[in-house]
Amino acid sequence: MDPAARLGPAQIDVVAQLAVSTLLLGGIYALIAVGLTLIFGIMRVVNFAHGEFLMLGMYLAFFAFTLRGVDPYLVLIIAIPIFYLVGLFVYVLVMRGVIHASHNVQIFTTVGLSTALQNIALVMWTGDFRIIRPWESSVVLRAAGTAFNLAQVVAFAVAVALTVALMAFMKWTHTGRVMRATAQDRDAATLMGIDTDRVYRLTFAIGIACVGAAGVLVSPLYAAYPQAGLQFVTLAYVVVVLGGLGDMAGAMLGSLIVAAVEVGGSYIFGAAWKEVFYFLLFIGVLVFRPAGLLGQRGAETLGA
Amino acid sequence: MSRLAPDRWAAVAMFAVAALTPLVVRDAFLLDSVILILLWGALSAAWNVAGGYAGQVSLGHAAFFGIGAYAAALMSARYAQSPWLGLAVGVALSVVAGALIGYLSNRLKGPYFALSTIAFAEVLKIVASRWRGFTSGSEGVPVPYRPGFWTLGLGHVAWLYLILVVAVGCYALQVYLERSRVGYQLAGVREDEDAAEALGIATRRRKVQAIVVSAAMTSACGSLWAQYVGFVDPSHVFSIDLSVRFALNSIIGGIGTALGPFLGSLLITSLETYLRATFSGVEASFTGIYLIIYGVVLILIVRFAPDGLTGIAGRFWAWRARAHA
Repeated sequence: MDPAARLGPAQIDVVAQLAVSTLLLGGIYALIAVGLTLIFGIMRVVNFAHGEFLMLGMYLAFFAFTLRGVDPYLVLIIAIPIFYLVGLFVYVLVMRGVIHASHNVQIFTTVGLSTALQNIALVMWTGDFRIIRPWESSVVLRAAGTAFNLAQVVAFAVAVALTVALMAFMKWTHTGRVMRATAQDRDAATLMGIDTDRVYRLTFAIGIACVGAAGVLVSPLYAAYPQAGLQFVTLAYVVVVLGGLGDMAGAMLGSLIVAAVEVGGSYIFGAAWKEVFYFLLFIGVLVFRPAGLLGQRGAETLGA
Repeated sequence: MSRLAPDRWAAVAMFAVAALTPLVVRDAFLLDSVILILLWGALSAAWNVAGGYAGQVSLGHAAFFGIGAYAAALMSARYAQSPWLGLAVGVALSVVAGALIGYLSNRLKGPYFALSTIAFAEVLKIVASRWRGFTSGSEGVPVPYRPGFWTLGLGHVAWLYLILVVAVGCYALQVYLERSRVGYQLAGVREDEDAAEALGIATRRRKVQAIVVSAAMTSACGSLWAQYVGFVDPSHVFSIDLSVRFALNSIIGGIGTALGPFLGSLLITSLETYLRATFSGVEASFTGIYLIIYGVVLILIVRFAPDGLTGIAGRFWAWRARAHA
C-alpha cells in the first residue's frame, strides 16, 4: 500500500503544523539574533547583555498595556525609537570605552551590563512573572489543517519585515555600505575617512532597537520577568554561531534550524528536553564547524 | 629570612585573621561570613588558574561546581555514602569534563570559547532539572545532616578550619604557578600563543592541564559547598550568575594574581552578606541591589583598572617606594 495513503489526514496535519510552528518561531528568533550578529559583525563584540534589552522590551509592552491599555503592536511604533536611543546611550556610556580593548575586557563589560540591568529590573519590578493577554493572543487562525495564534503570526510578519528591511538597509544604502566596510577592515575604513565611532554608535543602536522590538513582539506570547532575556539569548547565541557570527543571512537560516530542532524535538521527545537539543547542536557546531554553516573556515581561531 | 612581597604579607594576614576568628568570637553569623569568604575565594582561585594564569576565560565554571555539588549531595542523600566519596567522584567527572572543554579551547578563542563554556553549563543544568528519577529534578536535593567528619556533618568552627585548609591550598597552588616553570609557560601561552609555541612550549597540553586542574578544584569546592549549605538545586548550582561570580572576584581583586581572588571575595562576599542582612526583612527584591553594584563595579574595573585592586595597590607601593628613594 502506498505509504502516503496510510498517513491519515490527522498525521498530515501534524507535519504541516510542525512546519508552520517552525516558521513562526524562526521569524521571531531571527529578529533577536540579527541584532546580535550585526553588533558582532561590525563591532567584534559579543553582546552578553543582548537578552536584557529583550527583557526591557517585554516590560515596556507590559506596562504600556496594563497601565495605559495600549496594544503591544502600537507600542512597537514608539519602542523602536526608544530602544534606538537606549542603544545610543549605552554605547556612549559603556561600549565606546572598550571597543578597542581585549576580548576579555569586552566580555566582562557586557556581562556586567547584563547583571546590572537584570537586577535593576528585579529591584524595580520584583521577580514576578508578568503576563499580558491582549485580544490577539486569543484569536486562533486555521488554515490548511493547521491552527495558530494571531499574535504569533503578527510577530512573525513584523519580525521578518524588520529583518528584511535591515538587510536591505545594509546592502543598498550608503550608510549600510560604510558599516560593512568598517566590518571588513577597521583600519582601512578609518584611512578612507570613515568615522568608525559613528558607525559603531549606529550599529549598537540598531542592534538594540531590533532586540527591543523583538521584546515587544513576544510580550503577548511569553511572560516578562527579570531573567526572561536569558532563555532567548542563549538561543540567539546558538542561532548566531550556526549562521556564522556577523552573517545576517546566516542568522536567518540559523533561526529556522534552531526553531526546527526545538519544534521537532518537543514533538518527538517532549517539551522538557527541547533545550538540550539545541545546546548539543550548538556544541556540535562549535566543535565541527565553528565558523558557522555559511561562514568562512578559520574565522574562530582569530578570536574575532 | 627572605623578604616577602606586600601581597604575600596581605594573604598571610588574611588567613591568620580567619584562623584566629573562632578563638575570639563564637557568633554563628560571623563564622558563616568568614567561611563563605574563604570558600568563594577558593572557588575564584580555581577559576583564576584557567581564566587568569592560562588566559582561558570561561563563563561556564558553574558546570564543574554543579558536578561536584551533585556528586556529593547524591552520594550522601541517595546512596547514604560518605560525601567525601562523592567529592572524589565529582572530581573524577570534572576532570573528564574539563579535558573536553580544554580540547574545545584549543579550537576556539575569545568569545567563541566563552560561549561554548556557557552552553556546556546550560546543558548540564537542563539535564539536572529534567532527569527527575536520578537528580530529583528542579526541586533539588536536600543533603541529610549526619554528624561526624566522615559524613561532613560539622559545626561552624570545624567547617571554618576545613575551608581554611582548602583556601590556603588553592592560594599555594597559585603561588606555585607564579614561580614555577609550568607557570611561566602558562603565562607565555596567555600572552602570545604563537610565540610560546615557537619556543617549544606544548601550548595545547598546558591549556588543557590548566583547565583540568581548575575544574577539579572547582568541583571539590562545589562538593564542600553542597555539604555546608545542605541543599543543591539545579537552577543555582549550574547558573551563569555563579560562573560570573567566580570570574568577578578574580577580576575585582586582580586577575592572574594569587591574592586577587581572595581580596575580591572578601569585598564582594562581605558586601553581599551585609546587604542581605539589611534588606532581606524589608523588601526581598532589594537584595538585588548588590548584584547591580556587582555589575557596575565589574564594568568600571575592567575599563579603568583591568589589573584589579592588587594592581592598584602595586602601583601605590611602587609610587611610595619612588617617593622614599
